Amino acid sequence: MEKILIANRGEIALRIARACRELGIASVAVYSTADADSAVVRFADEAVQIGPPAVARSYLHIPSIIEAAVKTGADAIHPGYGFLSEDPYFAEICASHDITFIGPTPDVMERMGDKAVARQLMSGAGLPLLPGTIEPVTTADEAQDIADSIGYPVIIKAVAGGGGRGMTVVWRREDLRNSYQLTRATAQAVFKNNAVYIERYLAASRHTEIQIVCDSHGNGIHLGERDCSVQRRHQKLIEEAPSVHLTPELRAEMGSVALKGALSLGYTGAGTMEFLLDDQGQFWFMEMNTRIQVEHPVSELITGIDLIKEQIRVARGERLSHTQDEVKFTGHAIECRINAEDPDRDFAPSAGRLDEFAPPGGPWTRVDSHCFGGWTVSPYYDSLLAKLIVWAPDRAEAIERMDRALTEFRVNGPGMKTTIGFHQRVFAHPVFRSGDFHTDFVDRYMTQK
Amino acid sequence: MSVETQAPQPAGHPLEAPSLEALCQQAKVLAAGLPGTLTRLTVMVGDNRVEVEWQPVTVVAGVAPAASATIEAAEPETGVAVVAPLVGTFYRASGPDAAPFVSEGDLVEAGQQVGIVEAMKIMNAVQADQAGRVAKILVADSDMVEYGQQLMILESADAES
Repeated sequence: MEKILIANRGEIALRIARACRELGIASVAVYSTADADSAVVRFADEAVQIGPPAVARSYLHIPSIIEAAVKTGADAIHPGYGFLSEDPYFAEICASHDITFIGPTPDVMERMGDKAVARQLMSGAGLPLLPGTIEPVTTADEAQDIADSIGYPVIIKAVAGGGGRGMTVVWRREDLRNSYQLTRATAQAVFKNNAVYIERYLAASRHTEIQIVCDSHGNGIHLGERDCSVQRRHQKLIEEAPSVHLTPELRAEMGSVALKGALSLGYTGAGTMEFLLDDQGQFWFMEMNTRIQVEHPVSELITGIDLIKEQIRVARGERLSHTQDEVKFTGHAIECRINAEDPDRDFAPSAGRLDEFAPPGGPWTRVDSHCFGGWTVSPYYDSLLAKLIVWAPDRAEAIERMDRALTEFRVNGPGMKTTIGFHQRVFAHPVFRSGDFHTDFVDRYMTQK
Repeated sequence: MSVETQAPQPAGHPLEAPSLEALCQQAKVLAAGLPGTLTRLTVMVGDNRVEVEWQPVTVVAGVAPAASATIEAAEPETGVAVVAPLVGTFYRASGPDAAPFVSEGDLVEAGQQVGIVEAMKIMNAVQADQAGRVAKILVADSDMVEYGQQLMILESADAES
């Protein structure tokens, strides 16, 4: 593997290009006209303009990306997250052009991409599932019967869903039919697939996910968990590791269960098994993300393992560079997603020129960002400006460090609003500081004022 | 959008009112640095006020901003560029032995095919958006082109050449 094309944009494209540089591998950036002056275009060894701003004609346009890879002689493609990262068809096209897709095989992606199939497979591998359907639900009557037998609240999820979209929580029986139709319509519009399934909804639970990496020799390791319970409408805002709710024994158990599930599929590459964890230490499999995740730096900081490099190594056919025994968890890491959104206006995205972009620095303070002063935030793409990640020996110090780093972070531009102030309020909140909160934290404590 | 500002007070003279000149100067600086089109400008000396209103250019999602698709050298002063519709290989002719679609100096009609960009083994016709004379061909046959890359320059057919 000598040259990797990065089929993505923003901070993750830059993150991947940096890993390539450190590994001595050439990188090719692809970009839309809206990203012509982006950081990764400057940083990468080569760059190819692939289309107009609209993603359907650029970052999702497979022919242009493959063509750029073939023409530049790239022998591998890293898809990052989002865009084509979980598209088995794209992975197949890569293979047919002798280009290594840095991720699992198309077959595994396809099976795990269908959330109902994934539930079935993981249930078969012995992973605990919340009560619910294995097969997609096809009629409103059936949905009603199933929901009645599970008991309310239930959650209706699109089988093709992901990224926190295509889910509806139903609290009362009388809302079920309406929510069922609505979720199907949304799923059809967003994912081009209206199949949904139903499971019990756990109100007081924590979103706890396990990071795994597997090589093509049948080996796998887990890098512990991340708690991502600070969410708004299923969109993660803050992630941390380790979770204060896991004992070493529970961590080992969740890790080994996650690995068992992944290895039963013949999984290769980095992936994340998402679980819900309740107050009694019981956990249930939700879904698997067959790609690198936004919040991967949190795991990197507590383990010292570079996940992007590890993805590249196993895609080259190498063995994992660590055994499970060598994975040590040290200290505490927290990530804040700094988005160009206005928390006072229902997190409406903002776009425009960044007159000032001054990220914090200092000890154990990492900023993964593609932004710089003078860059224009495009309205075409997601609103992530930066990931601010800090490490400290323990959670209390990590909170103080994050609080300090947030006060240093200056982002200004005409009409530009960010989530920095929102994060400061979270870090000042006694419930967040106590660590004793669930996925309803934002709704419960952060929506007033 | 609007912003109001106070003219800077000279240090040590907090009570001194700014001159009309100073306010005008500040208004000019503000207006020049606006992120959009100036729609209203008010300068008042009585209560030291400069008000600027502008139309933001930040566009709402889904509305296409003017795409800047310049890759190669800037367009010459006259003429319009024919650009690549996608990433691929540019061909001037329909086959190795065929005559080129156009050569420098040729007159073309709007909609006339002037080349091919091949991507993923699919031949995509490149057409002239408007009539004109081929002033310069910028890309060699079989070269890789990026989306939006200028392939050739057309100048107005009635321009003297």
